[in-house]
Amino acid sequence: MLVAEQAARRGARVSVVDVCVAAVTALPVGGAGVSAMSRSTASHPLCSTDDVSAQLEELQLTLGEGPRVDAFALGVAVLTPDLLSDEVLDRWPVFAPAATEAGAQAVFAFPLQIGAISPGVLDLYADVADELDAEDLADAMAFADTATLILLDTAIDEPDGHVRDLGGYRAEIDQATGILTEQLGVGIEEAFVRLRAHAYAHGRRLAEVAADVVARRLRFAPDTTPDTTPDTARDEADDDA
Amino acid sequence: MLDVSAAGVLLANRDGELRVMAASDERVRLLELFQLQNDEGPCLQCFHHGTAVAVPDLSTVAHRWPRFVAEARRSGFEAVQALPMRLRDEVVGALNLFRARPGPFDPVGTPVAQALADVATISLLQQRSTVRSSVLNEQLQTALNSRVLIEQAKGKLAERHDIDMEQAFTALRGYARSHNRRLSDLARAFIDGTEPLTDLVFRTH
Repeated sequence: MLVAEQAARRGARVSVVDVCVAAVTALPVGGAGVSAMSRSTASHPLCSTDDVSAQLEELQLTLGEGPRVDAFALGVAVLTPDLLSDEVLDRWPVFAPAATEAGAQAVFAFPLQIGAISPGVLDLYADVADELDAEDLADAMAFADTATLILLDTAIDEPDGHVRDLGGYRAEIDQATGILTEQLGVGIEEAFVRLRAHAYAHGRRLAEVAADVVARRLRFAPDTTPDTTPDTARDEADDDA
Repeated sequence: MLDVSAAGVLLANRDGELRVMAASDERVRLLELFQLQNDEGPCLQCFHHGTAVAVPDLSTVAHRWPRFVAEARRSGFEAVQALPMRLRDEVVGALNLFRARPGPFDPVGTPVAQALADVATISLLQQRSTVRSSVLNEQLQTALNSRVLIEQAKGKLAERHDIDMEQAFTALRGYARSHNRRLSDLARAFIDGTEPLTDLVFRTH
């Protein structure tokens, strides 16, 4: 019902965005996000209800570690009521502190599944360390089930194979990766690694680095640190050797 | 929430005939059956045209659906709404909402009811086979990956020839069409270096 209300409010076909917004309304969480996942490529963020969710999404994309990554790989819900606990820091030594810095204290990831098929993950975060009780867990799983069905029902237009309602997809990250293949003279995989490494090394958001690359404010050159053009607003003065 | 006395869900079978899948009580069930048999009523109209049909006062449409209106009012209903149940672009059935008293339908309630119908459709079709889910998942993965490939190819082409993303996309799409190739296949080949894109044409705009 909550999901339906959200869709009606938007005046559009029900979509994963509505599941996320409904989940935030119904559960003791600050934000939610859904990503489509596949075994062979990086995840595709589909929606986030707020900036913290978007950042958590991006961190996991940049670092390749985190609750969403584990939930998808293991096929089970990953519940982390306290990101600052020792076990969690052991598990995700880079993600955990970065996530708390972004404003999350607890994260819960639910794989979207029908049998052996897993098209994605539903991520929830809270800004205080907190558990989900049994009722909340059941609700969260129901939201995950709904998201799974909606995701699989996503309309795909032929012949270009264009996916409708992609929501949170950011083309710049992929465009920037393509640009880097030329600037660095490397394959697409390495280009993506280099882009992510730069974001991580400079403590910047992947989407922002990508935007700079696409806007030609930031250029990469083979075997050197990236250069910025003189008129860039952000200062890249801290060259690392 | 929604001001409804009774509801019924009808889905089309393989021959395109509506069958009652669920009803909130027996009276409504009888009505649905009635509608089908007589081939009249807002629900059938909704299904055939794929658009919502609202009848705020059944007494005003007795001339249009005489037997349906008579039976509905005898069962205690004075207003009806029929909402299409859609799966992607196909109308697979209809959600019928009945109300005991006449009067206009809440403009806020209708989109909610339609969204409910959409969610109900998806949930009902959870009965689909694992094979179909697997096929749908494949399609989704392929579509998402295609998007990624195309954006990556745009970036690579834009950088190589010092053009913007829009020009790059236009050039790629034009090349794909004139060489009769799928855009995503062309993009993949360009990215992994097996497609040199000779005779590529750029337009300045």
